[in-house]
Amino acid sequence: MSRVVVVGAGLAGLTAATDLSRAGVEVTVLEARDRVGGRTHGIEVAPGAWIDAGAAYLGDRHTDLAKTIADLGLKTVPTTMRGQSRFVLGHGRVTREGRFPPLSAVALGDLFDRLDDLVQRVRVDAPWRSGIPDDETAAAWAQRELTRPDARAFFPLFLGEMMAADPADVSVLHMAFYLASGGGLRYLNAFEGGAQDSRVDAGAHQLCRRLADGLGPGVVRLDTAVHTIDQTGRSATVHSASATYTCDAVVVAVPPALADEIRLLPDAPVRRTTPGTAPGRAVKVHLIYPTPLWREQGLSGWSVNADGPLMSTVDDSPAYGEVGVLTGFVTGREATRYAALTPAEQRREALAQAAAIFPSLPEPTGFQVSNWVTERYSRGCYAALLGPGDWNLLGPHLTTPHGRVHWAGAETSTEYFGLMEGAIRSGHRAAAQILAQHRPQQA
Amino acid sequence: MSVEGVSAIFGRVLQVGDVGSESDFFTLGGDSLLATRVLSAVAREYGVELSFDDFADAPTPAALAERIASLR
Ligand SMILES: Cc1cc2nc3c(=O)[nH]c(=O)nc-3n(C[C@H](O)[C@H](O)[C@H](O)COP(=O)(O)OP(=O)(O)OC[C@H]3O[C@@H](n4cnc5c(N)ncnc54)[C@H](O)[C@@H]3O)c2cc1C
Repeated sequence: MSRVVVVGAGLAGLTAATDLSRAGVEVTVLEARDRVGGRTHGIEVAPGAWIDAGAAYLGDRHTDLAKTIADLGLKTVPTTMRGQSRFVLGHGRVTREGRFPPLSAVALGDLFDRLDDLVQRVRVDAPWRSGIPDDETAAAWAQRELTRPDARAFFPLFLGEMMAADPADVSVLHMAFYLASGGGLRYLNAFEGGAQDSRVDAGAHQLCRRLADGLGPGVVRLDTAVHTIDQTGRSATVHSASATYTCDAVVVAVPPALADEIRLLPDAPVRRTTPGTAPGRAVKVHLIYPTPLWREQGLSGWSVNADGPLMSTVDDSPAYGEVGVLTGFVTGREATRYAALTPAEQRREALAQAAAIFPSLPEPTGFQVSNWVTERYSRGCYAALLGPGDWNLLGPHLTTPHGRVHWAGAETSTEYFGLMEGAIRSGHRAAAQILAQHRPQQA
Repeated sequence: MSVEGVSAIFGRVLQVGDVGSESDFFTLGGDSLLATRVLSAVAREYGVELSFDDFADAPTPAALAERIASLR
């Protein structure tokens, strides 16, 4: 074994490439975009002030991510969430301490009890063996299980925030699996001490940049979309429009919907998605201010809103420097609607809503939209959403190689599925699989 | 209705054993999400629906039991 081609220069692909390269394998990474990073991407909102257009948050249980961050000489900074929150949930504008919405606590507790019951029952390593019937969507489940109006009202907002999903987009099994895989309800929901405890200082996109740099010049080929992987001969050949690469093994580290666009010769017995697999849908709206002005007003910048486009807002100001950034999350069906607006309409809607949530703030000095709904090479953000029956069909083959083709990506990790941590774990796993199966010729 | 009953709810939600009657829920690692689960259990077991603010004002088993008793 001497040559491996990695398809996709996101966290998963670059992690696999780094492990293989360290083991003495000759690696080439083919990336469709004109940049590395995939679903991590940085935007410079002021000179030297970077924010995350894509993945941003991490917590202490994301141990492989923490190791990568440390190895690359990067640092994390805590998310700041001090002061009062705003809620616009159909009873006017409410300001209160903490992130707890002004809805019936008993109704929300009842919702979380029911979700936690599912989380406790799901088998994270093999969700299809959980004994949870996999024939209904989260929407059907909510319709049946949730009787209290406040629970029904809050559930779609919660799922939008957690998974960028509409309840109709996911199976109840996938919802339960996702919540369990990420560490459970409390951990996934929490900022301090939870999955949103910190960010990568100056942007998560730096991880991929530094991983790519570490591979050395010429290893990562940008603007190279792979369309075919042929292993009918004695080796594998990987085809893009401009070149063909011959190798002993391939790591396909792209989101499942895009993996299924790649032609496999011979075809795999099971593909990576079904017609019922939906893309997560997310748009981030960044409102940029000269400083985090809301902090001086005793506000945290956190808000939760029943109407779109900004379903929630969060203080995403860079840790150093003056600039203040409020990031608004637009998710699910609302993201699809918003993504289709003209830039002028997007701006008008977001600014009007920001003014209604935070009337004491001036108009922002900068405005950016990170539209992941239409990203040709993501097709599912934050991640792919499995529908009814999908786990049963796809789950058993999640990490099974197809001949010389190995699968990686955040959606192939049952641990921290769909997160940066899951992507990195999948990259390590795919590299280990290759090294175990095809011993390098010489150490 | 007893302080022990409320302590047991705290213990179940926080997944810790033996919660003292004067222990503060938030000091024991509770947060607002878990607090709602205490309140749904209280509603089920004692038929009393408390708000999050009620709980924030009475975050120990003793204080919460008193609050529940006063409403029954
Ligand atoms: C808005 C948003 C917010 C998020 N928030 C968080 C968060 O706070 N915390 C967290 O942990 N995670 C978050 N995530 C999820 C996280 O970004 C992903 O789980 C992770 O980055 C996925 O890494 P990956 O390597 O598996 O896939 P990707 O990053 O998607 O990388 C795949 C790469 O393959 C390339 N590619 C695709 N098709 C081809 C082809 N045919 N040929 C060649 N190359 C191809 C793509 O261009 C891409 O670069 C968020 C995602 C989004 C979009």
